[in-house]
Amino acid sequence: MAKKPPKKEYDLKAARKLFEEYQAKRKETKKVSLPPDTIEVDDLSRNQTLNRLYEAVDALIEMIYATGRPTLEMPSRTASNIIWDEENDLLLLGKQVIRKQFHSLASVADMTRMMRVAEVVHELLVKDKHSTLRDVFYQDVEIYGEQKNSDKSIEDIASMLYTTRNATHIIASAKGLCVGRLRIRDENNIIDLEKFGSGAWAITPMLDKVDIIESDAEFILVIEKEAAMRRISEDKFWKKYPSIILTAKGAADIATRMFLKRLNKELQLPVFSLVDSDPYGHYIHSVYLRGSKRLSYESPFLATPDIKLLGVLTKDLDTYNVPKKARLDMKPMDIKRTKELLKEEFVKKNKKWEEDLKLALQLRKKAEIQALSSHGLEFLSEEYLPEKLSTGDWI
Amino acid sequence: MDIRVFQKKDGSIVQIIDKEKMEDWPVELPLIFIEYIKSNQLKSYDDNNLRKEVESYLDEVLNEVAIPRLIHLLESDKEDKILEALIRLEELSKKNIDQMEPIKPYLTKLTSLKNEEIQNLLEKISDRFDREEKRKELATKRKLMQQKEKDFLEGKISSEEYAKIRKEYLLLRG
Repeated sequence: MAKKPPKKEYDLKAARKLFEEYQAKRKETKKVSLPPDTIEVDDLSRNQTLNRLYEAVDALIEMIYATGRPTLEMPSRTASNIIWDEENDLLLLGKQVIRKQFHSLASVADMTRMMRVAEVVHELLVKDKHSTLRDVFYQDVEIYGEQKNSDKSIEDIASMLYTTRNATHIIASAKGLCVGRLRIRDENNIIDLEKFGSGAWAITPMLDKVDIIESDAEFILVIEKEAAMRRISEDKFWKKYPSIILTAKGAADIATRMFLKRLNKELQLPVFSLVDSDPYGHYIHSVYLRGSKRLSYESPFLATPDIKLLGVLTKDLDTYNVPKKARLDMKPMDIKRTKELLKEEFVKKNKKWEEDLKLALQLRKKAEIQALSSHGLEFLSEEYLPEKLSTGDWI
Repeated sequence: MDIRVFQKKDGSIVQIIDKEKMEDWPVELPLIFIEYIKSNQLKSYDDNNLRKEVESYLDEVLNEVAIPRLIHLLESDKEDKILEALIRLEELSKKNIDQMEPIKPYLTKLTSLKNEEIQNLLEKISDRFDREEKRKELATKRKLMQQKEKDFLEGKISSEEYAKIRKEYLLLRG
């Protein structure tokens, strides 16, 4: 029988260098200063949010006494008020405001819904409980009519208070998973993320109850697909290469993005993403990178502007000899999305990224992360990832 | 500051939450956190200096956060909060009763409370303190016993003196 070739050893030199740079920078880390034409949103504690709510209600009562015609003022969240902050690589809200009036047929329904949401937020904060978007809708179906209306009112209240939606204790269902060299506090419990066997810790949307308590990781790996994460996790990648691995199982939900942001900010570790080599995968990476347009007012708490796109890059298909049968033809929608991505300022600014997307358009090919498994089940965790992290082959 | 960074000789690091962030934690949790790191993580740090530094930081957490916060609660009249804390402390007492030594006098004061659940928990914790005390006393006596046995065989002490010590030891062992 032929002798199996010895496994290659990787030193993760490039990733280690980046880790050392981050740790050296830790001392000089200062607060992100936002451009003057944008608004600043704070991630408030329970008591701080309650105080802001009381202040808003007091102002409303004063307006009722003074003029009898109260209005609510909040930042506009329309596309024309969304600004890309080039320096911090974030999508932010500009200073345009909208005023909703009680004495207007156009806004009376909106105002009523907002007041109902404010009442729910008050109850949640006082009782230190959390509620999902769906729960809020079902608390008063008659007033909201459809869930999109209650969702909008929740965002209106959060932006009116200049805080994040999580700070109002109204949360979206979370779907993310996390494993690796990390210990956390979740309410009254201490949880070791290395001790989940073949499973993983389900990222909670109640992140105000979570603290990072101990870690000896040197980088964070965000994986688009749950299957790929389980594969890497089964190989105990994080034992050999000190890391924290997480996935949002596809599109990035708020809790996963917020948790990643906290890991990155508190532990000062480099973050790498591993997504499918297609425009949807690149879009997912971009949402981790700079936030989504819809939640642009929360971007500083959700975006990880220094995340690196580790793969799967279009050029990797040849570099790592991904078999032709594992490469898929791009569909018209993929081509359209790739072209749209190429028009984005944050892509134009990043030449390597632009080149890779242009190569995808030229080859008209895409591939899933799992295409790398055509070289063997352990190829991803034993060769592809270590090699890229050693050579610094990322965007 | 959110995190304390501890350097290893090889350039890698261990990051541990800063004690200031524990101010909002449930009152018994800092003590449980200390016990957790000592029993589960310390042994995984393959660097003696690092171990010493982390142990010293954990002592800081114990003396500046864990104990003062517990004492503050135990001296208050918040029976429901005291009960919540005692449930977790009773769990901790099974693993490491020594760690609870600094709050022992404050637990004793709670015996005046009439809450039955609190009294049951206090009794269990108190039993563990007693057992631990006896275990330590026995260990000391055993060591002494071994020395005296050696002395007796070498003719350095009389049979009466040996018999007296032996009797004390057997009585303590029960």
